[in-house]
Amino acid sequence: MSNSEKNIEPLTHPVLVSSAAALLIGTLATDVFYCQTLLFQWNNFSIWLLTAGLILAAIAGLALLFDVASKRLPVIAWDRFIGFTAAALISLLNAFVHSRDAYTAVVPDGFVLSAVTAVILVFLGRRGWSLRAGPRSSVAKTMEFHANSTEVQP
Amino acid sequence: MNANLLRAQCAIAAILLLSGCDDKVADPSKQYGAHPSLPAPQQYILPPMRIAFAKGWGTNQAPTAASGLEVKAFATGFMHPRQVYSLPNGDVLVVESNGPKAPIYRPKDFIEGKVKGLSGSAAPAGNRIILLRDTTGNGVADQRSVFIDHLNSPFGVVLVGNDLYVAATDALLKFHYEAGQTHIGELGEKVADLPAGQINHHWTKSLTASPDGSKLYVGVGSNSNITENGMAAEEGRAAIYEIDRATGMKRIYASGVRNATGLAFEPISGKLWAVVNERDEIGPDLVPDYLTSVKENAFYGWPYSYFGEHVDIRVEPQRPDLVAKAIAPDYALSSHVAPLGLVFTQSSSLPADYRSGVFITEHGSWDRSPLVGYKVVYVPFKDGQPSGPPRDVVSGFLTDDGKALGRPVGITLDHSGAVLIADDVGNAVWRVSAARHLASGPSEPARSGK
Repeated sequence: MSNSEKNIEPLTHPVLVSSAAALLIGTLATDVFYCQTLLFQWNNFSIWLLTAGLILAAIAGLALLFDVASKRLPVIAWDRFIGFTAAALISLLNAFVHSRDAYTAVVPDGFVLSAVTAVILVFLGRRGWSLRAGPRSSVAKTMEFHANSTEVQP
Repeated sequence: MNANLLRAQCAIAAILLLSGCDDKVADPSKQYGAHPSLPAPQQYILPPMRIAFAKGWGTNQAPTAASGLEVKAFATGFMHPRQVYSLPNGDVLVVESNGPKAPIYRPKDFIEGKVKGLSGSAAPAGNRIILLRDTTGNGVADQRSVFIDHLNSPFGVVLVGNDLYVAATDALLKFHYEAGQTHIGELGEKVADLPAGQINHHWTKSLTASPDGSKLYVGVGSNSNITENGMAAEEGRAAIYEIDRATGMKRIYASGVRNATGLAFEPISGKLWAVVNERDEIGPDLVPDYLTSVKENAFYGWPYSYFGEHVDIRVEPQRPDLVAKAIAPDYALSSHVAPLGLVFTQSSSLPADYRSGVFITEHGSWDRSPLVGYKVVYVPFKDGQPSGPPRDVVSGFLTDDGKALGRPVGITLDHSGAVLIADDVGNAVWRVSAARHLASGPSEPARSGK
């Protein structure tokens, strides 16, 4: 198994997952700025981050399908899949909340949803942005891509 | 508890179906008059949008009038007519107008713009004034000319002596007018700047003159629904201005008025009245649009509160000092009906029970289900104050399946006392007069009795 994995093409979805996550985590920062300043432009910033993050998340979903269909990803880490999907759905809800007018677009519902999303994504992101199954697998694969290092034993 | 459950259901529906949940809506008649029932505000997951797709009138189709009245097309074939105004010699001005292109600040602005466009609100407009003349007196215009061209989103028009004032979206303009003139080629002289700017959310500038002609009054709408474009954008907005005709000096006559789309002087009391469009997105039955006398230097609440001291929690920082000063308007018309024009009827030639009140055009809702408005109502007055619930006068603007054949906007009386109504989806001007066959019929009941 190790040898076969080593020879397949690199995965396409992790870079998209990480990009989407960066924008969705950024929403928490702009929400904090809104709460501190009450400047409407920070809320606008948040809703654009959410929108762009959701578009990237949707493309990441397509990339994941591609990775599965092209047999680059034989087994999906379902626990991580559920985590990322939950973050995307909460962000979709959050985009609607952030589309309210003025203060209640952020406080309190929008801020809470941004914070929950950020916590989920930071937690998942500690092990990278791949949905490859296996213990410490994404870290291992990332190292493999960059350094072509020796494999981590399961 | 139920509210939380409902909110959870809405959230799930929003995620899974991208569809809103049906709100429990109140009967609009519970929101007529001085003391409307005001439910608790709600915060939406999905911005509520329910529009009537613009369809336009078929041949020989027309709105329907209340009994004793008849409706005929005075003229058709306009480009987004928003306002009608009668000149003393019987000529009629029709203002073809639409707002400047709205900037996209949020994804919502883009989506709302697209959806509202389906209701005809983005239709191309002439941005000019058309003059109509009915030379035969049969209630149909037979002459038409471009009266004033190349205006910047004009709305209000008023004639004082030989001075014709046009409220463009960024300035009040004055033109010299002689009776019988069918075209004005000169550029208007600017009397005063009016708040416009890049956002210019509520762009219409309503206009009327005091009975003695010394003062002009201009309605300037807010620059947002509820300050989502920031408080700085609201400088000089959401107010009714008084402009001295001789000097052009202007001052805010009343403030906290979200969007005064129609202004008129009540003939018995001589007081200024307005129809006002209130805020959206806190429920299908909030906040009622209203008809009110405009008290000098009064504050009507926007954005901090509505109908007196009902605080809007979407506005931060709040201003309890201003909320304490906010006064309630005189007469609620129910929520989201979008009153855009009014005319007092003392000098009308309609049957007697339409001659002591005000006609109000309700352009119709875009964010409430079921739809409301899309009609012209009559509010009776007694001693200068509203004295009863609104009655439907002209309706039939909607099809049974909720498409808009037309939407009423501006309203005036012509020199014969009939009512003229601008219809910006049907691109027509309708004329409402006493029904001839009924008026001369022997069975017409006496209308004086109580």
